[in-house]
Amino acid sequence: MFGRKRKAQEAARGGGLPIGLGRALEEMVRRHRRREALVFEGKTVTYQELEESANRVASGLADYGIRKGDRVAMMMPNIPEFAYTFFAIQKLGAVAVPFNTMYKGREISFILKDSGARAIVCLSNFANLINELREDCPDLEHVIVTGQRTLVFLDPDATVNVQIVCERSAFGSSDGALREIGVVLVDTLAELGVKDAWYKHQGAVRVGGRKIATILLSEIENLYVANVVTFLKQMDAEPLFKVLYVPPEIKDKALEPMTGIAEAAGNEVTFEQFKDAISSVLAARLGIHLEPGELTRDELIAYEKNRALANRI
Amino acid sequence: MDPWRLIYHPDGDTADVVSHGAAVAEGRIAGKYQLSTTLVPNTVIVQRSRTRGIIAGADVRVDRDAAASAGIEVAQAPRQGRNSARAVSTVPLGELMAKGSRKFDAEEVEPDDPSVILYTSGTTGNPKGVTLTHRNFHYQCTTVVPSIIPFTPKDTVVGVLPLYHVYGLANGLVATLLFGARFVMVPQYSPAALLEAIAENEATIMPAIPSMYQHLLTIARARSTAMPRSLRYCVSGGAPLPLAVLREFADVFETEISEGYGLTETTSSVCCNLSGEGYKEGSIGRAATGVEMRVVDEAGGEVSPGEVGEIVIRSDTVTPGYWNNREATAAAFSGDGWFHTGDLGYRDEEGVFFITDRKKDLIIRGGFNISPREVEEVIMLHPKVHEAAVIGVKDKRGEDTVKAFVVVMKDKTLSEREIIDHCTDTVAPYKMPRIIEFVETLPKSATGKVLRSDLRGETVDMRLVEQETA
Repeated sequence: MFGRKRKAQEAARGGGLPIGLGRALEEMVRRHRRREALVFEGKTVTYQELEESANRVASGLADYGIRKGDRVAMMMPNIPEFAYTFFAIQKLGAVAVPFNTMYKGREISFILKDSGARAIVCLSNFANLINELREDCPDLEHVIVTGQRTLVFLDPDATVNVQIVCERSAFGSSDGALREIGVVLVDTLAELGVKDAWYKHQGAVRVGGRKIATILLSEIENLYVANVVTFLKQMDAEPLFKVLYVPPEIKDKALEPMTGIAEAAGNEVTFEQFKDAISSVLAARLGIHLEPGELTRDELIAYEKNRALANRI
Repeated sequence: MDPWRLIYHPDGDTADVVSHGAAVAEGRIAGKYQLSTTLVPNTVIVQRSRTRGIIAGADVRVDRDAAASAGIEVAQAPRQGRNSARAVSTVPLGELMAKGSRKFDAEEVEPDDPSVILYTSGTTGNPKGVTLTHRNFHYQCTTVVPSIIPFTPKDTVVGVLPLYHVYGLANGLVATLLFGARFVMVPQYSPAALLEAIAENEATIMPAIPSMYQHLLTIARARSTAMPRSLRYCVSGGAPLPLAVLREFADVFETEISEGYGLTETTSSVCCNLSGEGYKEGSIGRAATGVEMRVVDEAGGEVSPGEVGEIVIRSDTVTPGYWNNREATAAAFSGDGWFHTGDLGYRDEEGVFFITDRKKDLIIRGGFNISPREVEEVIMLHPKVHEAAVIGVKDKRGEDTVKAFVVVMKDKTLSEREIIDHCTDTVAPYKMPRIIEFVETLPKSATGKVLRSDLRGETVDMRLVEQETA
């Protein structure tokens, strides 16, 4: 073992690796171009491919105005994009600020504010978490998202899913859409007996710091698609941890603190009552009158196709 | 305003919940291109799934068997393409990369320019940003690491430690790539995923934390099939590794395994208890190459071997200080550049270091120092105890009292009395736990360190989002 160790020592020292992580990577790419640098879910990335991807991120970040010395936050698990982004930041001479992917709320806003990060590269799952902190983090200009690792939990007793698909013109800006949907949710909850719910702009509806509903707004062509999940009662996450492994000692940190209408209002509400409440609030608040309907023929074809894809795994 | 359509589905399944929204959006877009004359109205879908379910993004790997046996449906969300729906106010990384150039020369940096800031949560107050420079990483990888981990370009390294933590970043990703080796990324830890990563990639080096070694052994004991034999060198860090685990792991996986010690402020490892002849049970080993390490008293003077004091470190791998936080930096360094770790320990005659406690965890009762770790070790000797943590809590007179949190072995029962009796024989009366609380788990950090500050109730829940006051 000691012979091997000495050799490794000499390789590192004698090789004259430059000080500076960006330059050091370039040197390793020169030496190992075709060798495998990363392996991820059966796919490999060579040193050269790693550098090319890092270069693309670096020049992309430069296009967004990121310069030497700027801080760039990172909130990602161990995926290749972590390596691309990390070395891109190093090549820019910028400063990487990676932080724990289980952080929530104030933990994140403290780090973003204290470091003065101008951009964050994060898993798409965290976009909502970050967006709602943007008002508190004036230095943060860009939220760059990667990976398709979102998880939505469904529970027949606890969760209601509301989707709104509409012309963008129905709301104007995305800001306006989020604000109005937020207000509709707060009013719906009030109608169901939850008096102190509040909406954090671009984020979620909470009661006393605990999440009771989430809003995710997407855009596609001329449409807005809003996905809203509301908790009728506090969801029991335990069965889900049987499917998605989370070490027992960090289970309570894996999910944001949550509550539900039953806990917050002190009485249970049925799914039907929720539907009626949100329908009447949409009418009262936004003048939107709902008429019961079914999917059209075109939509049914799209529905069958999407179902097949959803069950394909 | 034209009426909107309400689609109401109280009894769908998990796949329905994904498909309805997607179908309505697609139907509308298709209609637009076909200049359809039947205008589809804006739509609100209110639905739920009649069973428990998970809608998983396209990149998530869900344990299908576990889902089926737990009665949980799994549906995959559609893979997002260039023209599919995207969250508002965000930039997709793929798009940014597509526009970016394949070539980019690294900017010139100074060795002492910051390259990374890592936040560590203090026991009280806000986390501190540890500034690490290009020199810190260079020195860690070229001088410190070679005396601890025998990387070669032929190695395959398991990247299971989170990369946002200094251990995974400095001793994992960065070291691997600067040695020209191969790095296997494990995006979400589970014992099975780790074992698979080792076996499928014939991994040779693994930096990990004690609980991972324990979990792998649990699988090895339960399975009759042979464990992979490709590992040749393992490092354990983040928390102490029980000797029994170390021995069994080395045996079952036919590998060397060493215990390292390091901090975020030292760009990870500075010390290693190498397995083999120099191995000393319970120690963190000798200072690595390029690292000066001492044990000092309150006045900063070096104490003699065997005497407990604070461990201080001087090296090019040590941070220049905390980001934006001069007071914390001033408090952590003495004038001649020694970094004060806050860890208490001693050095034996042969220069091997031992950690006893964190300085701030020390319990003081009647003028005597009580080491929580010493009491914990006694409690853990009880055969029915799985884990224990000890802290000091103030009694009515404002004096520290020993309180123990105990996790009982699965399917076993244990009374307070049994623990007290067990301790009576081995610990001095003033060290006896006065309060015992049985808990299901102990709060731990990302690397498996027990968070005594959480047990002391000092930490505020930073995860909550406060409502701004208008």
